Amino acid sequence: MANPFRKSSDWLNYGLVSIVSIALMVLDSVTPWLNTPRDVLSVALSPVQTLASVPANVSRLFTNALTAEPDVKIAYENMRDEYFQLKSEALLLRTLKQENDNLRSLLDASKRLDEDIKLAELVNVSIDPYNHRVLISKGIISGVYAGQAVIDDRGVIGQVTEVQPLNSSVMLITDPGHAMPIQVERNGLRTQVEGTGNVSLLRVPFLNQNSDIKVGDVLISSGLGGRFPNGYPVAVVSDIDVIEDEAFLRVRATPIAKLDRSNHVLLLSRGRRGTVLSGAAISDSSNSESNDLGSGQQ
Amino acid sequence: MISGALQGSTFSLFCAVLLSSFFALVLTVVQLPQWLFYFWPDWIALIIVYWALMVPHRIGPLIGFIIGTLLEVLFVRKFGVLGFGLATLAFIVNTTHRQLRALSVWQQMILVGLFIAIFKLLTGWLYGLVSDFTITSEYWYSILGGLLVWPFIFILLEELRRKFRVR
Repeated sequence: MANPFRKSSDWLNYGLVSIVSIALMVLDSVTPWLNTPRDVLSVALSPVQTLASVPANVSRLFTNALTAEPDVKIAYENMRDEYFQLKSEALLLRTLKQENDNLRSLLDASKRLDEDIKLAELVNVSIDPYNHRVLISKGIISGVYAGQAVIDDRGVIGQVTEVQPLNSSVMLITDPGHAMPIQVERNGLRTQVEGTGNVSLLRVPFLNQNSDIKVGDVLISSGLGGRFPNGYPVAVVSDIDVIEDEAFLRVRATPIAKLDRSNHVLLLSRGRRGTVLSGAAISDSSNSESNDLGSGQQ
Repeated sequence: MISGALQGSTFSLFCAVLLSSFFALVLTVVQLPQWLFYFWPDWIALIIVYWALMVPHRIGPLIGFIIGTLLEVLFVRKFGVLGFGLATLAFIVNTTHRQLRALSVWQQMILVGLFIAIFKLLTGWLYGLVSDFTITSEYWYSILGGLLVWPFIFILLEELRRKFRVR
């Protein structure tokens, strides 16, 4: 195997590969041209993805099968209680909604948009420990679009960033590159939350020293920016630091949604597709997908 | 490529590399408890190190690039970075394979850790350029995990290589 040209051909090989990869990097971050080949490849590779997630699913199946019957019974009873409670609350809610609509029409205010809900399953959770993204099992075929809000049964999880034919990737609210507009539920104070890269920590910037905020306040999505509908719980304030020389408070919050533990998520979409809000979200995200991920201005 | 025998061996090498990459992929996407999360090794990088070390004439930058690009499709990341990182890793291991093979497993562990650190530095830095990503201190923990599992990876893949009769 002694080849006198081996050394130089190795360098040539490596140099070519480097040039190609750098070209790919530049092309992919400047233009959207590579999205089509990516989609085609992702469809071709989707069996691999399914196969790769089989062991995790099998282990989940086993834990389900091995759960003791009394535990299941208790869980069932808890769920039944919860179900009836929620049912009665929903009844109340319907009358409240009607009343609210009437009041809104009296005030001549615009009607609240109805959101369409779609259920999706997580394909894999720990795509990458540092970029907080998860892959979900719905894609273009099911009508998912970039910029769509994703929640679970407790609160906001994140937003769809890339859509492929069969699945799409969701950026969590704790991703360091994510920010979203929120307001304090107690008094309507508006600001935003930013991800920190830690799954249980969010940062709340731009609050003055004299802002009315305290530990335990619930932060809900404010609906500004048009990505996240108004009123969904996002986080609970966990810690406030007052630093003498700084203009702003240092506020930290913990997400309410089970970011690292849910197996199912809900995709929210605006009921009427033609409305200004969803239209803006779609065109906005297709123009500058890579930079403007948070709907707040970072 | 030249003779039929080599063709067969190329095919079995191809199968062995694909199989091991697939297992690495399975290990990468498995759901983990929090304490293990950051120490979870970069399986794919370890696999590439092994093949570039043991079959340096055929597994090099190009294969690293192809596997990296396929992973970028699966993980929905920006194109080019992972491919370039794995190609660089394969290239470093290729050029040092003689020295690396002569070392004991313990010494190999240190060097493998170093190579993976270079790989992580390069990819982390490039991800910072092409998308918003910041290197945190936890980012480096997986190097420790990687060098600790290296001896086991090595033994297991030696077994696989023997099964597939790759030379």
